[in-house]
Amino acid sequence: MAGRRVLVTGVSGYLGSEIARSLAADPEIEHVVGLDERPPRERLRDVEFIEADIRGGELGELLPRAGVDTVIHNKIVRRPGPRLSPRAAHEINVIGTLELLAACERAAGVAAIVIRGSAGIYGAEPDAPQFFPEELARLYPLRTRFQRDVGEIENLFDAFARRNREVVCTMLRYQPAIGPSLDTQITQYLSPPLVPTPLGFDPRIQLVHEYDAVGATLAAVRRPVRGAVNVAGPGTIGLSRLVRRAGRSALPVPAVLFDTATATARRLGGPRVSPDLRRLLRYGRAVDTTRLTEEVGFRPRFSTPDAVEDWVRAKGGRRLVSAVGELLPGR
Amino acid sequence: MNDAPRTPGESATGPLLRPAVVFLRALRAGLARGVSPLEALASAGAALPGEARGAIEAAISRLEGDYAEDEWGFDEGFADAVFPLLELMYERWWRVRAIGVGNVPAHGRALLVANHAGVLPWDATMIATAIMREHPLPRPTRFLVLRWAFELPWLSIAVRRLGGVVASPYNAVRLLEEEELVAVFPEGARGIGKRWSERYRLQRFGRGGFVEIALRTGAPIVPVAVVGSEEIYPKIADARLLARLIGAPYFPITPTFPALGPLGAIPLPSRWRIEFGEPIETAGYGPDSAEDRRLVLELAERVRSDIQNRLLTGVFERGSAFI
Repeated sequence: MAGRRVLVTGVSGYLGSEIARSLAADPEIEHVVGLDERPPRERLRDVEFIEADIRGGELGELLPRAGVDTVIHNKIVRRPGPRLSPRAAHEINVIGTLELLAACERAAGVAAIVIRGSAGIYGAEPDAPQFFPEELARLYPLRTRFQRDVGEIENLFDAFARRNREVVCTMLRYQPAIGPSLDTQITQYLSPPLVPTPLGFDPRIQLVHEYDAVGATLAAVRRPVRGAVNVAGPGTIGLSRLVRRAGRSALPVPAVLFDTATATARRLGGPRVSPDLRRLLRYGRAVDTTRLTEEVGFRPRFSTPDAVEDWVRAKGGRRLVSAVGELLPGR
Repeated sequence: MNDAPRTPGESATGPLLRPAVVFLRALRAGLARGVSPLEALASAGAALPGEARGAIEAAISRLEGDYAEDEWGFDEGFADAVFPLLELMYERWWRVRAIGVGNVPAHGRALLVANHAGVLPWDATMIATAIMREHPLPRPTRFLVLRWAFELPWLSIAVRRLGGVVASPYNAVRLLEEEELVAVFPEGARGIGKRWSERYRLQRFGRGGFVEIALRTGAPIVPVAVVGSEEIYPKIADARLLARLIGAPYFPITPTFPALGPLGAIPLPSRWRIEFGEPIETAGYGPDSAEDRRLVLELAERVRSDIQNRLLTGVFERGSAFI
């Protein structure tokens, strides 16, 4: 295992940087190459940075030259941002993965590929199993654009794995991440003082702490397994409890008006709520993490409720209700 | 059997309702002593501040999200808080008589199989209440609920917090592997959508999926016959178009619903009788026998006829449905 050479795509994002940093500090890893369209905010020590667009055709030349044996594909866009159209996000996700896998096929010596994918492929459904095992990925039709992207990425990866049996292909299906350093759709959703929630619904939400999000990818590099592996903090948290723990107040909105309400809030400067998040807020989703703990050998440090607590602690939000509570006599 | 005394303020009364109960009890005691209503009210109120503070503190920790849910979404605080309501339904509204509660294993996995009737899953809550109240070692029951309950606002919240999960073999197997007590209703939507004229006639038990689950996990099957649930919402017709519109498997028309609006959701006060049969052991067959179609169908039929027989004798023994 010693002397491994690893490529990390999407190295400029927070999780990509952390993964590259940890790998560079690992004595078993000889060399780390980071790839992204823009350089990371601060220079990563002992990481060779290549500035390239994953969608461009350059990968075919760059990858053999880097001479890596392990590829971590971390460049998957989970939500279109202000400077990223849904179309561009789709291209990065699908065309980017296609280009990367094509380059891996041509470059000799790639022995393992880990993709940081999404548990979004399971969807959020009222009659879903309470904990999705890996084999139930296609139980429901892929309803949203992002889900179809993830579905296509998994198809490409499966086809690649069938053609290249000597390469160990690991698809990590991540639940949404939360943590003090992260700026994700979930943390943005919980940022305004009044958080819109679907009236009459209080689904179970499952998250993964940023610390474990990095750790799970590293564990999969250390012990590669074939096929899909769910990544999540064990346990779940009810949406209303999540909102309350975040020190926010829920603003229940009837389900039929929910789209309009979130779109209006968005226009007033509120956070964007993607169709995936909308379904998640109504029906919730949790996954089975047996494979992660038993086969990859990774035990998350934070359960979902603990991850939320840690995020709340770091955020140090104002707690209106406790302020009222302190006024009570004899407490 | 039903009037097992409960001392005031016992843990079964939820923390949020306890002050009201204490308050009303003090009020009643005062009135019984023969003092004027105003005096009784004042002395009852004197007991309130300490209790009220407890209630407010409980409410605050609730509002801060400082309460526990398990990974299935079962919320013990919520279940405790509504338990008095369920107890009231159990004791006064339906006057439930529970028979053979001791047949429910006190620990470890077990599968309760019951007949299903009444539009809302009241029968599941009453089975759970019977075990909480009458079993020598009370334990919570997880019940499998049809998917559409999770598509309806509020109902989805209540069902989840009370320990309901979506009826799916994955959920049932996982719960049993966690040594839980699980209640299933193999009649499913066919059961709750029955007409008045079909009451107490068990519908087909699907393809015996519940037997497969029991065999795979080695959980004993406890047949449960619920008498009384058929009369709570006497369905006289079904508005199919409306049902399709709201995505429910049927849209019941009863003497009170939808004519009385939401009031029509109040179940009729029929008299109930819940009988728990002797457990049928399945561990001896081994997990591989879940593939054995003949064994599965045989066991399913055995459970079905057991429940059907108990239903017929149960209806007879109960006597009049309402009084």
